Amino acid sequence: MNKTWPHRAPAVFRLDDGNVIVGLAEDAAAKYPVQVIPEPDTETSVIAVDDPLQWPRRGFRWGAAFWGAVGGLILLAAGLGMVRLIEDLFARSREFGFLGLALAILAAVAFSVIVIRETMGLARLATIEKLNRRASDTLLNDDRREGLAVTRALLALTRRTPRLARSRAIMESHLGDIIDGADMVRLAERELMTPLDQQARRIVSAAATRVSAFTAVSPRAAIDVLFVFGSALVLVRRLSLLYGARPGALGLMRLMRLVVLHLAMTGGMATSDGLIQQMLGHGIAGKLSARLGEGLLNGFLTARLGLAAIDVVRPLPFTALPRPTLRNLMSDVLRGFGEKEEAP
Amino acid sequence: MGELIERIRLAAAALADFSSHLFDPTIRLGVTGLANAGKTVFITALVHGLLRGGRFPVFEAMATGRVARAYLAPQPDYAVPRFDYESHLDALVDKRLWPASTRQISELRLVIEYQSQRGHQRALTLDIVDYPGEWLLDLPLLDKSYEAWAAESVSLSRLGPRAGLARDWNSYLATLDPKGAEDEQAALTAAKLFTAYLKACRDKNYAMSLLPPGRFLMPGDLGNTPALTFAPLDVAGDGIAPKGSLWALMRRRYDAYRDIVVRPFFRDHFARLDRQIVLVDTLAAINAGPDAVLDLERALAQVLDCFQIGRKTILSTMLRPRIDRILLAATKADHLHHTSHDRLEAVLKRLTQEATAKAELAGAQVDVVALAAVRATREATVRRARQELPCILGVPVAGEVLAGETFDGETEAALFPGDLPDDPNELFRSDASAFQGISTTSPQNADFRFLRVRPPLLEATESGISALPHIRLDRALQFLIGDRLQ
Repeated sequence: MNKTWPHRAPAVFRLDDGNVIVGLAEDAAAKYPVQVIPEPDTETSVIAVDDPLQWPRRGFRWGAAFWGAVGGLILLAAGLGMVRLIEDLFARSREFGFLGLALAILAAVAFSVIVIRETMGLARLATIEKLNRRASDTLLNDDRREGLAVTRALLALTRRTPRLARSRAIMESHLGDIIDGADMVRLAERELMTPLDQQARRIVSAAATRVSAFTAVSPRAAIDVLFVFGSALVLVRRLSLLYGARPGALGLMRLMRLVVLHLAMTGGMATSDGLIQQMLGHGIAGKLSARLGEGLLNGFLTARLGLAAIDVVRPLPFTALPRPTLRNLMSDVLRGFGEKEEAP
Repeated sequence: MGELIERIRLAAAALADFSSHLFDPTIRLGVTGLANAGKTVFITALVHGLLRGGRFPVFEAMATGRVARAYLAPQPDYAVPRFDYESHLDALVDKRLWPASTRQISELRLVIEYQSQRGHQRALTLDIVDYPGEWLLDLPLLDKSYEAWAAESVSLSRLGPRAGLARDWNSYLATLDPKGAEDEQAALTAAKLFTAYLKACRDKNYAMSLLPPGRFLMPGDLGNTPALTFAPLDVAGDGIAPKGSLWALMRRRYDAYRDIVVRPFFRDHFARLDRQIVLVDTLAAINAGPDAVLDLERALAQVLDCFQIGRKTILSTMLRPRIDRILLAATKADHLHHTSHDRLEAVLKRLTQEATAKAELAGAQVDVVALAAVRATREATVRRARQELPCILGVPVAGEVLAGETFDGETEAALFPGDLPDDPNELFRSDASAFQGISTTSPQNADFRFLRVRPPLLEATESGISALPHIRLDRALQFLIGDRLQ
């Protein structure tokens, strides 16, 4: 019988056969030549995916219409004032008129560049949000084409992040392989997000440490508030730069809004995150020194904000990699008091 | 002329549908599949899943809880029997038997009440038709003259393993003179031998697919009527039948068959589909051998060519409905370990590549999925002498034979059906390097053995049967009707 077919031939094993054992049997293996090891159901196991952040959008967006209309009016008023001013200047003297006109043109050009930049920043934020949602969907429906598309979009998004050059090369080599959609997304997360996640964790714990230390030594509560707010802004901006969002001023505002919303929505989650223990710990620190306790609490809130910001700006949901928790961030912070702050 | 009248009738029916569907959104789901592809099981599992709320994580509307309830409604056609969902389910769950081949057309209407994503209360009606898969092969006859069909059938019957099966009919055919006088007895004998040849081809050892006309295999209520008493003659594809000849008799009956049987079947059930799922039993063909695989490819190409496929527009919806989404499903995916499902999908893609390309060009969405509407197996790894085989665990149906073992329908076994190749083209070779199926070699030496497995043992809870296990049925539903439940 000549066998030309290069693949493995079919086989059958009756489970009631004397040579067959069902289940793992390390020492009995010699006695039973064939082991049948049942596998857990792969097809019916439910994949754990976080609920994507979605605000239901109902019909016409009146808020957007309002702000658009008000902005338009302000622009019109400014334009009208400008035209009047230049007319007045021309009425006074020709030279002043031309100078004013030139300045006005320069201002208009600069303004339009700013507008374009802001729009691009906002568009990039929208891309990240959409990418996150698509990745979550792919994890559920395991669509191979969509998984590939998500990975390609992610590669395009991180094109300007030099530290990912090697990970990108590895990921690109996997693009042609036969990998199911969900696995592809997980692979992309492991390859592309690991270095960024580590960096993000360092950034958040550094910010939290700084806030704690500053609050502990600052002379006035008002300065504390300013400092905490300022470092929150800086933190969110740095995280979004890290994950490839590069937002402008408007983008940063939108981002802050999303982060605060996210904090509000997931506030309950913090209890399971070890909040009680943390609070208790700070209570004890507060007994020792009121300033130190206050400092730790501020640092803790900053870390919480940082975590929310990571959730918002990260292009992929956490599935293959562990989500950084408040507990390990705060232990970083506490350790950070004794050590030199790492330069991110 | 007849063609034009037919078109007008179709357009009128479509227009009537359009106006009634304005207020009552309806999807006509075409469950298409050749004989033994698993249409009845698919419909039963789908209806059960929707009625009882199956485990469908990927079917978004159901997974997020937006589907309030689904119920069976009276069907719209008074002349068509109702799909006997209850007894199919009983047989599947209690007796653990797969349904017998469908002999009659039947229909079911399902209403899904859901809340749209914006919060409106809506209802979607789903019309599903079940029919013998053999009849599907009649659809390509609509565009074929008797002469073209006869020439094709005769040349096909001399190819590969068919030649042996058709020997009796072919030798009788040689004695017939198409231009001789009409002879009822000759027609009867020819039809009988031709039917016997078609039935032999359908045997699971050969698993041929392209076997028109379908009513010869599954006559329904037309057995022994003159409309089924004809057979191909050895005539030229472009010849003209002399008056009063045997040829003219056969030709008349072929035309009658098309008018009485095929056209109404097409008009009533296929001309107005919105969505289509094409179930293909790829594994049975692979089991039988390369000839069966090539035959399946030919049959699918001919059948898929009959449907109106393309992007929907308002005009097309009103006058000539089109199918805007097609799901190609390789059924019985539970007979393979899940690591091979991708390769099974690749094989199906290769089987249907022309039809797929055409559909995509016309603007329809096409997806390919390896599916098991009812999952009858579990998975296991078998370790034997340092070798690991990805196997499935199941109870083979009584009478199945593999490697000298005959199963009694009670014994559980771990089955390794053979590795599907990475490159699906390897399965389509017919030269010396082709694989061996049971049509050409003994079951011991075949390169693939897919045994039929009994339906799973399910635990009944007090509220009835729990959800049926499945593979990717939810993904199929999401693709087919998910967008209409937004």
